[in-house]
Amino acid sequence: MSTLSDRVVSTLGPYVGDTVADTCVRATALSLGKTTEDLTPADFPTLEANVRRLLGPVAPTAVVDQLLADIERGL
Amino acid sequence: MTATTASSRTPRALSAGTMLSGGALIALVGLFALLSVQMYAETLSDAAYAASYWFGTSLQILFALVIVFVALRIGWGQHVGKQWFFVGLGVAAYAAGDVAWTILDLHLGLDPYPSVADLFYTLEYAFFFIAMALAVRSYRSITDLRTPVIIGAVISAAAAAAMYFLLLKPYIFAAGVEELGIWGLVVSTLYPLGDVFFMLGPAMTLAIVIMRLGAGRLAWPWWIVVVGALVFSVVDSLYSYADWSGAGSSTLLEMGWMSANLLFALAALVARDVYRVR
Repeated sequence: MSTLSDRVVSTLGPYVGDTVADTCVRATALSLGKTTEDLTPADFPTLEANVRRLLGPVAPTAVVDQLLADIERGL
Repeated sequence: MTATTASSRTPRALSAGTMLSGGALIALVGLFALLSVQMYAETLSDAAYAASYWFGTSLQILFALVIVFVALRIGWGQHVGKQWFFVGLGVAAYAAGDVAWTILDLHLGLDPYPSVADLFYTLEYAFFFIAMALAVRSYRSITDLRTPVIIGAVISAAAAAAMYFLLLKPYIFAAGVEELGIWGLVVSTLYPLGDVFFMLGPAMTLAIVIMRLGAGRLAWPWWIVVVGALVFSVVDSLYSYADWSGAGSSTLLEMGWMSANLLFALAALVARDVYRVR
């Protein structure tokens, strides 16, 4: 798994579970035509869009904002 | 904050405020349980009985206020805010039913069943169903919902069949309009069916969705809601059966509704915590 994938799963996992966190990673990779291993920090904008789309209905915007900031900060 | 500290951040457990508030609500319900035993034993004076009656009713109002307050803090513009607002409206409807019931029974000396109280009680089913539907639907982009919905519907149908053979057919339908009146027949039928189709089934569907996802702390409050819905539907159904079969109610059954709405309020307090990252 790439650094970005690891980072997303370790950040989102405690909040939404590893399955959902992994879904966010796979959705990002799919939308970019890449594998999860090929994701890089440059793919963060696409990841952000997918995380907002997937988690927006299950968490308040402020929580999603904070989690995205945590992911970005660790890249 | 450095990358190292950010990555090693672990979500907080429940806040001191939630522990204190939740503990206070549980203690109040515990106190009402003691009073309820005395009420059933008819060992209280009239004034103490009336005060205890209103104390129990006030607790339902308190639970509703807690949930609605949390929902408003989350915000109506947020998907989850709407979900919690409808949970709060459900408990508020129940509390309104309790107020009407208390006034009719305690102060007017009227038989409160059936009455306007039932209108409010049955509204809890509608609001709770909307809340559950919104909560389940919020996962639609993440996972397939068909299987959980089908399983929830099958559980509801099986429970409804049990209700039909154990309660509706031998007691309620047998009594019919002649004994119950049209309004009495409608609400007597609606309660057990509401329990299974609007409480049990939707809660089971949500539980399956959350369980399949191996969800993290954002699911904690919904797990508590699921337990509350189970308690409510089981207790409400048992109460109907005990009432119709002549077995009679008990303090334990009476405390069931209180416990269910307490669980919904505790869930809201937990939600307030888990929706804070820091």
